[in-house]
Amino acid sequence: MLRACVFSTWRSHSRKRGLSTAANNTLSPHHSIYVSNSSNPYFNLSLEDWLFRHKNHKEPLLLIYRDVPCVVIGRNQNPWKEVNMVASRTTGVPWIRRRSGGGTVYHDLGNTNFSIHLPRSSFDRHATAQVVLRAVRSLGVDANINDRNDICVGKDKVSGSAYKIVNNRAYHHGTMLISTRLDVLGDLLRSNKPTMETRGVASVRSPVCNLQQYEPSVSHEGFVEAVIDSFRQEYNIEDSTHTVEENVNTLGIDYIHKGMEELPRWDWAFGQTPEFTYNISRTFDWGTVTARIRSKHGIILNCSFELPDGHQSISDDLVQDQSRQLEGQRYGFLDETKEGIQRMMEGPGAEIWQWLKMEMDT
Amino acid sequence: MLSRVHKTFKLADIGEGITECEVIRWSVNPPDSIAAFDALCEVQSDKASVEITSPFDGTVKELLVKEGEVARVGSGLCIIEVDEEVAVSLEEDAPSASQQNNASSGLQPSEAKPKEQTPFPTKRRPHPLDPNISPEQQLLLLGRNHANVLATPSVRHFAKQKDVELSLLVPGSGKAGRIEKRDIEAYLQIGISATNTNSATSTTSKDDPAEDAIVEFGRTRWNMYRAMTKSLEIPHFGYSTSLDLTVLHEILPIINSHIPRHYLPTSLHPPHTPAFSPSAIYPQPASPDVPSSGHYTKLTYLPILLKTLSKAMLEWPLFRSSITPSTSTSDKPTLTVRPNADISIALSTPTGLYTPTLQRVNTHSVYSVASQLKHISHLGRQIPSGLTPAEMPKRGGTVTVSNVGGIGAGEGASPVLVPGTGIAIVAIGRAKWIWDVDRGDGSGERRLKVNVSWSADHRVVEGAELVAFIESWRSWVEHPQRLIAEGV
Repeated sequence: MLRACVFSTWRSHSRKRGLSTAANNTLSPHHSIYVSNSSNPYFNLSLEDWLFRHKNHKEPLLLIYRDVPCVVIGRNQNPWKEVNMVASRTTGVPWIRRRSGGGTVYHDLGNTNFSIHLPRSSFDRHATAQVVLRAVRSLGVDANINDRNDICVGKDKVSGSAYKIVNNRAYHHGTMLISTRLDVLGDLLRSNKPTMETRGVASVRSPVCNLQQYEPSVSHEGFVEAVIDSFRQEYNIEDSTHTVEENVNTLGIDYIHKGMEELPRWDWAFGQTPEFTYNISRTFDWGTVTARIRSKHGIILNCSFELPDGHQSISDDLVQDQSRQLEGQRYGFLDETKEGIQRMMEGPGAEIWQWLKMEMDT
Repeated sequence: MLSRVHKTFKLADIGEGITECEVIRWSVNPPDSIAAFDALCEVQSDKASVEITSPFDGTVKELLVKEGEVARVGSGLCIIEVDEEVAVSLEEDAPSASQQNNASSGLQPSEAKPKEQTPFPTKRRPHPLDPNISPEQQLLLLGRNHANVLATPSVRHFAKQKDVELSLLVPGSGKAGRIEKRDIEAYLQIGISATNTNSATSTTSKDDPAEDAIVEFGRTRWNMYRAMTKSLEIPHFGYSTSLDLTVLHEILPIINSHIPRHYLPTSLHPPHTPAFSPSAIYPQPASPDVPSSGHYTKLTYLPILLKTLSKAMLEWPLFRSSITPSTSTSDKPTLTVRPNADISIALSTPTGLYTPTLQRVNTHSVYSVASQLKHISHLGRQIPSGLTPAEMPKRGGTVTVSNVGGIGAGEGASPVLVPGTGIAIVAIGRAKWIWDVDRGDGSGERRLKVNVSWSADHRVVEGAELVAFIESWRSWVEHPQRLIAEGV
């Protein structure tokens, strides 16, 4: 059965509702329904982008995927504001910047992601939300859509959405909380920096809830089937569902490969951060220091200090020097091999330096 | 009469009731030059991230909204300097290439007929300046708001003197569609000749077939007009010869019976899997993804001629070069030599003449070239045209090929070069069998020959160089066995 399916992957004169897998051939972006068997968020995001850019822009497409635990921030968000960096490091849960707008979400295997791609001219976020809503309701959950186009049950959000629009194509993708570890979610997204003011999109915090809380029989597989059915109905799709493996073939696709490499690189992850300022103070034995750091695109533009009156242990020159050393450095990634910085770390201003470093690491 | 116009590119309605967006990133900065569909900037509105591309070719003059700032829908994002004669709509429409062509070809349905001269298009709406229609009809046609009439006070005064309704002349030939004195004079000229003919004959207008009709240039024909006017600055010289395709003719059936599976239409794939396959122990390298528009069942000579041409181009760096585009005409020109052979193909389509480019032909097999040709013609045949900047990159090929043999049994041609498209162009005729008396030990032989007519830019190419290059091409075409030793 598998071999016969291989030939039917080109065009849609294939079986209804069957499953086909490209065993030996390359993955084609011309199908309509894809379910990813990979739980690698870097792969899934790159796969999504590849399908987005290569599918015939007049045809609808659905992609469903799940990720191992990770935090996903919006394209134009500030990771230091959205993500609790300390929690991220201690739990080993990475954070990733995606390509669509919107806010920050937490993914784990209890959360299923859907992605609906349509021609830009016929894209309507309400209609696409309805497709998913119908799927959820068909599972026995009395869900509805709020004014921000998120799927909710009562007052709790069960899904968050974001969109991407280009010349002739657009997508609506979102999460669906089925059985996510909400406690872990809370820890990782609690960054608590009220004095960090950032341009760009802030996340709108809402209370969230798992679907299983309302209907224990809801499962990932059930949700996948329901969304596929709803999608088929809405757009009249008869193509069979196509599963995607993360393997030699798919990783060999240049675009996907390059996308996966780009996502964790500093230029994308940190370098896309919009401008922000961070005002912090700390009381040392000898007095209280206030620092005001201004950063754009992940680089420190400047850092000014306010020292306590009549301070003796720290000289003005030293503080000026520290400001200068910080300028042009990557926020959170000070180049400690630089001679000027080493001086800072050892000299009398070392306390200030250590404190700044710690703040930037959170 | 091209003028440099500054166009303000406005943030279009993104839909979904969004009224403003934050500019996240600019991909360009003044004074970068930009081509239509190049990435311009990325904006964000609540949960949507939008990539905006440039609607025109031009130079970025000014960014009106900084990164991190908010732009309201309908306000200007940036100013782009464009070469344009007629003022067009100023709003970004984020169209695909097909939509843009749709916008223009929708207005000139006469363009839908390929290569025909339509002397009297009865179905089109009459030209606004057609003197046979009444002023009321003219106003309706123009559908213009009186407030959109741009003209200096002196021009308005002149119009009033001559008793000319200014709104009939919108858009004028001046900057941003301003009406100039010459527009009024031209209008009066047509009016005078019309009244002359009208006074001579009596009533009848459109139904009388003896009247001249004024037809506007469609978008692609207008582009051709301007391009060909520019091409007058290129001194052309021509050279024609014929290539002997007899050997190719003999091997063509063999090549055709071994077309790789991924280029064949799926209906021709074997219906059942073989009992054993080479992939049994280890998957084959992935075969490329080929859209059905790139499938074919047999090759023609053209892909082979293109491949052999690319071989000759590798031997001749001159024919892989183009004049480096420069902003100043006083600088001594230079040639940009490319490592690969890019060949443009003249494609005649229902919507006009296009020259898409096959890139790096030397790196593609004959089968791959054939598939690309098929795909490109398929896109070109769509109405509106499905060709996108992917097939028509700003930097076209260095050599252009026009396969006129596909259309007519021509014997010779004098193709014309357009500045910026390459330094040589060849028109390939139709292959035909002739009796070649020089072969077969004097008794003669039946040979398949095709005429090829070249034109080249004499500022760059010497006569002898062109001839030698063509001989190099001939050697590949007439001795394709060489390809075996080279490893195609």
